[in-house]
Amino acid sequence: MTRYEKAAAGAVALMAVAAYFIFIFAPEDALQHQAQRIFYLHVSSAITAYGCFAVVLLGGIGYLWKESLVADRLARAAALVGVIFTTVTLVMGMLWAKPIWGTFWTWDARLTSTLVLWIIYAGYLMVRRLAEPGRQAARFAAVVGIFGFIDVPIVHFSVTWWNTQHPGPVVINDALPAGMLVAFLITMACTFVLASVMIAVRYRIETLLDRQAEGLHAPAPVIPAGEVSSAPR
Amino acid sequence: MRPLSVAWAVARKDLTSEWRTRELVPALAQFIVLALVIANFGFQFDSHNATAIAPGVLWMALVFAGLVAFGRAFAAEREQASLEAMLMTPATPAAIFAGKALAAIILLVACEAVLLPALALFFGVQVNASVVLTVLLATVGMAMLGCLFAAMVARVKARELLLPLLTLPLWIPFIVAGGQAVQAEMGGGSSDQAVALLLDFDILFLVLTSLAARYVLED
Repeated sequence: MTRYEKAAAGAVALMAVAAYFIFIFAPEDALQHQAQRIFYLHVSSAITAYGCFAVVLLGGIGYLWKESLVADRLARAAALVGVIFTTVTLVMGMLWAKPIWGTFWTWDARLTSTLVLWIIYAGYLMVRRLAEPGRQAARFAAVVGIFGFIDVPIVHFSVTWWNTQHPGPVVINDALPAGMLVAFLITMACTFVLASVMIAVRYRIETLLDRQAEGLHAPAPVIPAGEVSSAPR
Repeated sequence: MRPLSVAWAVARKDLTSEWRTRELVPALAQFIVLALVIANFGFQFDSHNATAIAPGVLWMALVFAGLVAFGRAFAAEREQASLEAMLMTPATPAAIFAGKALAAIILLVACEAVLLPALALFFGVQVNASVVLTVLLATVGMAMLGCLFAAMVARVKARELLLPLLTLPLWIPFIVAGGQAVQAEMGGGSSDQAVALLLDFDILFLVLTSLAARYVLED
């Protein structure tokens, strides 16, 4: 087992722990019953996605400032993971909205800005794919990553700035009963670990892809994508 | 040369070349009128819902006309490799970028001089000074961002694909604030708050795009 496989197994095990707290430990909501249990992962994923996009921002600044390849790879990895967690947030939110609001989607500021967030970072990944690999892609993506981050505070404060269907913050307003708060904090921590492991694995893949791109002109052996996880460090 | 005179020289170059060829503005004016015709068929218009629908038509037409305009903003530079020549001069990239953006703003304002009267004429809505001010404020910020990304994608293969993908999401703040303001102005409400927000976005993107210009223009 490589270091990455161990870390991945650990992250999955932690998510199972989180599942225990979500489904068994946390008390049932008096009004929303089982549907409220979506809350834990929905909010955790959203905050994790913010974190990932903050890494993209810092990585972009790091690349523009010092031309640091490490920063660029970190940004690449975090953007992909951030898009995944934004997707999770959106999908879980829609599943929650259907029974409670009676509709999957409403054009409310929080929902709309989150969808825009998803589109911005999906665009970031498109830039990486379409621009010439190397300096050009890294510079352009850094600019997109820095501009795109403007949407993160907009998403976050949308519930305060506008009248939204989406509820405002409950955790920092101390509106959660103790059992729910514990379940939330544990889910949050486990999701953070999961995201960190995903970024680390993706970082490794990006390093190998860079190495592969460099070796394209030389007759060096090419590492197939499937064998990436078992490749020697 | 001082940055301001560089910016003005670059803008004047773009405007002169547009004046001599007269390509972009007439094409965009036609595009805008066509967009209004399409909106007329897409919506069921009457005198009651005109003020509710017209703001949406305005922003739709403006956004897509803007995308076409910014797609062309660096076409001449790309075809003649003149951006590289400009960057070889002692002029700062931020000043060159400001000039390109200024020319783009003026061209877009020329299109708005068609759009707003056409909207008033065909849809019977009131286009007063505050509507004009709102649209102008939004144009400044949108042109800054549009020009930055147009410069960026000018050297990318799939530039037609990328430009809308990158620009539209970042234009949304302007559409949100501008949309609210125009709805209020056409419906007879107060738009002060939305216009102030628009101004904030303008300042924010003015600073950010000037900082980013160096990284985008220099290769």
